[in-house]
Amino acid sequence: MTAALYHGEPNGPSLTVLAALFETGAEADLIALDLTQGERHCRAVVGREVEMSIEGEGPVLVVEGEAMADSVFLAQYLDESRGGGLQPADPHARWEMEMWCRFIIERVAPAAAFLGNRAHLTPKLRAMSDEAFEALVGRIASADLAERWRAVREGRYPEAQLEDSRAKIRLAVERLEKRIEGDWILGAFTIADLETYAWLAGMVDLVPEAFADAPITRAWLGRVAARDSVRQALALSPTGVPMKSWAPGPEINRWG
Amino acid sequence: MSDKVTLFHWEPNANSGKPMLALAEKGVPFESRYIDMLNFDQHKPEYLAINPQGTIPAMLHGDRVLTESTAIMEYVDAAFDGPALMPPDPRDRWRVRWWMKFMDQWLAPSFSMIGWSVFVGPAVRHRDPKELEAAIERIPLPERRTAWRKAIYNLFCEEEIAESQRRVGVGISMLEEALSRREWLASDQYSLADVNGFNLAYALPLSQPHLSNEETTPCIIDWLRRIYERPATKATWALGRTEMVKRVKIFEREVQP
Ligand SMILES: N[C@@H](CCC(=O)N[C@@H](CS)C(=O)NCC(=O)O)C(=O)O
Repeated sequence: MTAALYHGEPNGPSLTVLAALFETGAEADLIALDLTQGERHCRAVVGREVEMSIEGEGPVLVVEGEAMADSVFLAQYLDESRGGGLQPADPHARWEMEMWCRFIIERVAPAAAFLGNRAHLTPKLRAMSDEAFEALVGRIASADLAERWRAVREGRYPEAQLEDSRAKIRLAVERLEKRIEGDWILGAFTIADLETYAWLAGMVDLVPEAFADAPITRAWLGRVAARDSVRQALALSPTGVPMKSWAPGPEINRWG
Repeated sequence: MSDKVTLFHWEPNANSGKPMLALAEKGVPFESRYIDMLNFDQHKPEYLAINPQGTIPAMLHGDRVLTESTAIMEYVDAAFDGPALMPPDPRDRWRVRWWMKFMDQWLAPSFSMIGWSVFVGPAVRHRDPKELEAAIERIPLPERRTAWRKAIYNLFCEEEIAESQRRVGVGISMLEEALSRREWLASDQYSLADVNGFNLAYALPLSQPHLSNEETTPCIIDWLRRIYERPATKATWALGRTEMVKRVKIFEREVQP
């Protein structure tokens, strides 16, 4: 039985997984969803792990009836089923990749989603009728994800969180400037490059000051964008501007 | 480089307990360096020289420093001989990772917020206010500074505690459901997800008695008891120094008369 990948516009977590699929040569039926309309909650095959995924509106990979979520782990799954070479074999290098991905997942992705949704999704949701919006959130099983949708529609963006989110993007770029080793973040090309690119590419327009003085990061962004797998993924965009497509993502951490 | 392993940890509990138990399961001997969290040992210069973030645990392997409890566990599993704590099947591995992230980033912070409001705050609050303020100022991570401030001055708002309690309830039902389907949390073999989960949930029947007990969550109780009975768990909990570790005694099976 072939796998099925339900994905949104090639941005954020959907971009990571689409590109990992093309990198590894794994096969899956591609089913495009409009994540900005909450289509994952009515058109995709889901299960508890998808409904409760703290990544928010990410892609879903269905294998033998099991619906899986969380972009980094899906990329690892594809890599480990296909021997794709997207992860270092050495345990210490692997730890470094996991630490980097965790920084992106925990600190950078919530910030990027906050800023991206504010710029691109809030206006769309404001234009929606109350009825249509309530129908959309009514289908969401996770109460805190539903609450993030409401916050986006109502435009709840406290100044302190906005500033903190921009600071997180600046921090990510500062760390990239120091970290990039040769062509890629960890020397060899890994899932860390995909996940980092997927969340940061859309920030170049939204937090331009973070990238202004970052020649190493800008060159790296160009190299990732030029990879066959990423080009193939970006070419799937129905609008041609995937970096402007955002849906509620992970929450900004509430404790610790 | 020497291959010596040194672990800086507090009680076998939450994040400290994860690498302690993983090392014990793998049979890797390590030098234990106890960091008394309630005495703010983790913000002292000696420790900040190891981990500038001022959080525990941290592990030295030879001259390398490793941090982040779950990432340390994955490293321990990959770097040392001993029984595999990650299943071989890629989909099972995905499930192990999914559960660990869900626990680390969604469920554990809710448990932790409640624990800090009812236990950590009251445990240190009575100390000299000037000393406490100075201790807070020494905390390197802004997020942790906020946490300590809230715990010490009891600044939690009702809504956030209620939200944490809601998440604990949802998490318990998800654990029970997963454990009714499989012998272990994420696959048919004991894995890092179980090591992680035990550290999060071992005190559940005491801290959330109405939500987790033999009647409402039989699968969770049985799972915790099976983990408690493993020699590595017994050895790890014997390293605790405070009353906290005694909580595992609830898993002793009653001796039949
Ligand atoms: N994500 C880190 C978190 C480490 C962490 O925050 N540990 C807590 C103890 S469980 C700590 O160090 N608290 C002491 C403090 O905040 O001062 C990990 O899993 O290792």
